[in-house]
Amino acid sequence: MESKFQFPFRTLPEALFAAPADKCFATMWKCEDDVESVTFGEFTRLALRQAEYLRSQDVKLGDTVIILMPQDIPLMAAFVGAMILGAVPAILAYPNFKIEPTKYSFGLSGVSDNLKARLIVVDQRFPEELLKHIRVEGSARIVRYGENDSPVTIPDIDRSVEPSRLAFIQHSAGTTGLQKGVALSHAAVLAHIANLAEEIHLCPEDRIYSWLPLYHDMGLIACFILPLVCHVPVVMQAPTDWVMQPATMLELIQTYKCSLAWVPNFTLQHLARKVRPEDRPSFDLSSLRALINCSEPVRASSMDEFLAAFQNCQLNTNALQSCYAMAETVFAVTHSDIVGAGPRRIWIDGNAFRNQKCAIPVPSDTPGAICTVSSGRCLPDTQIRIVSPEGMELTPGCVGEIVIRSATMLDGYYNRPDLTAATLRDGWYWSGDLGFVLDGELYVVGRKKDLIIVAGANIHPQDVEEIVSAHPSIYDGRVVAFGQYNANIGTEEIVVIAEVRDEGDLQKTNRIERELRTAITSELGIGIGTIYLKPLRWIVKSSAGKPARSTTREKLLSEQPELQFRGKIS
Amino acid sequence: MTAIAKKQMIEYILHDVIRRPRTEIDENTALVSSGLIDSLALVDILVKLEDLTNLRIPAGKVNAQNMDTIESMFSTAQRVGKPKN
Repeated sequence: MESKFQFPFRTLPEALFAAPADKCFATMWKCEDDVESVTFGEFTRLALRQAEYLRSQDVKLGDTVIILMPQDIPLMAAFVGAMILGAVPAILAYPNFKIEPTKYSFGLSGVSDNLKARLIVVDQRFPEELLKHIRVEGSARIVRYGENDSPVTIPDIDRSVEPSRLAFIQHSAGTTGLQKGVALSHAAVLAHIANLAEEIHLCPEDRIYSWLPLYHDMGLIACFILPLVCHVPVVMQAPTDWVMQPATMLELIQTYKCSLAWVPNFTLQHLARKVRPEDRPSFDLSSLRALINCSEPVRASSMDEFLAAFQNCQLNTNALQSCYAMAETVFAVTHSDIVGAGPRRIWIDGNAFRNQKCAIPVPSDTPGAICTVSSGRCLPDTQIRIVSPEGMELTPGCVGEIVIRSATMLDGYYNRPDLTAATLRDGWYWSGDLGFVLDGELYVVGRKKDLIIVAGANIHPQDVEEIVSAHPSIYDGRVVAFGQYNANIGTEEIVVIAEVRDEGDLQKTNRIERELRTAITSELGIGIGTIYLKPLRWIVKSSAGKPARSTTREKLLSEQPELQFRGKIS
Repeated sequence: MTAIAKKQMIEYILHDVIRRPRTEIDENTALVSSGLIDSLALVDILVKLEDLTNLRIPAGKVNAQNMDTIESMFSTAQRVGKPKN
């Protein structure tokens, strides 16, 4: 299908220079008396000043620049400034106060080394005690974000930045040093934005709302690059501000008449449960034409809870939409029909799903039926196949690994040939996600890999297990971590099972648990669910002598069946 | 007055947020940075804080770090809170 969106520019900076100067671009809302807005013209000047500054720091064409700044307009300006020079920026998560300095610096050194970064740009308030710990190898230097007020003009289009050159690196799953960098060219990003804009029927009157972090593909592509290229405004707030006061999202959508927003599934539930009932009727959400559920498995129960809670807020009946997306394909793979009635739901036979790994549609009132929500159809220039563990393509309705090919896919992970070889074969990307296709629509049901998705953040169980293993009271290597969906919060939480060296320690679980929580939070920056301390030889081992994650998980769930129903009863 | 409110906050966090037996906290226990509570739970604590102090705490004026201990959340409430009308 030929895209309706034909851009008259070849690179992302050219897209910015072509924008209407007086149109509003980004609004950063921090609180009611701290709101900053810039037009495309003002943002262009900020980005050009950043380009000048980076040039003065000896950044050149093709250099990698890591940006470590809080969610705000200067971060966006530094990102585009680097691209104007033909350098390749990568945004990393800003350290939060939970992070332990030495661990953080170790992770940062790893990423910086892997990216062969020329420069690491941090903001003026970046904690000095963290900077002291950071040792970067090779040619990288750390500078604080600087501004100069020298007048700038839009340069003649620099033809040395060819569309086939890398535009930026976005990170896929992973914590600290284990992140996988996906490097994307200007041409790939622009081609994907054209397809995405067409898929969502983007028009100049649209306005995007976002609380999403810019170091995540959904925040970066849908809520920064898409508005930049298509010249539509975006209203943003920082993730932590939204989490603590969720109603602010609805206030901003109403005040700014936002029409589009992307959120991970747990957002719907967080809003439904945490916005006070007495506050709900006051919101007018009629401007919102699509609230797109993306980057976590889409759950019917969360969508229903949201719709019930906000039924008196003039919400469009088809406002809730769904999308399957990943950094590796720039962003979206499939999308629900945005002008249709909303994502299709089907009920499938529970036994056939568990035992035969196939989806057989049944009436919704069938005992044991499982409700699954469609993630829609493929975007233009994108194909998916469902493949068995043996590599055979499966027929519709069979559950297997989702394998993807798209015109805007990654060529490989940046400087990680090992990861590239494991996931890219014959031009197809092996996602590790499990799903099935029915009537041309994709239903995502789980993961082949043991990845845990906590509120949209991807966590490797190995990272958690390693930290727990390091505790002196825990038997090294006898630890299992997995994700368990908690319907109370609408996302997964991390469950840890660990064997203690000395059974006497089972009397001191309170102290050990507390130390483990501190260790995990300070290293990974996330909280965890329940910790189960067990006597020696409780964990089930595989034939290779390693803890068997899924069998151990089954054992725990059979002992503690209530874990499976967390949040469903009450 | 504040001392009673802080005691009530300790009770609330233990019984309604942490909900794990054998946990003890006081006014100066690190809550978020120690992993005892998840930042998603801060929204409930913030509502409780508004109730206990009878102050309205404006969005964006308080961050997770301000809420890490009961001591600091009460002093933050005094600093940024506005009387409820």
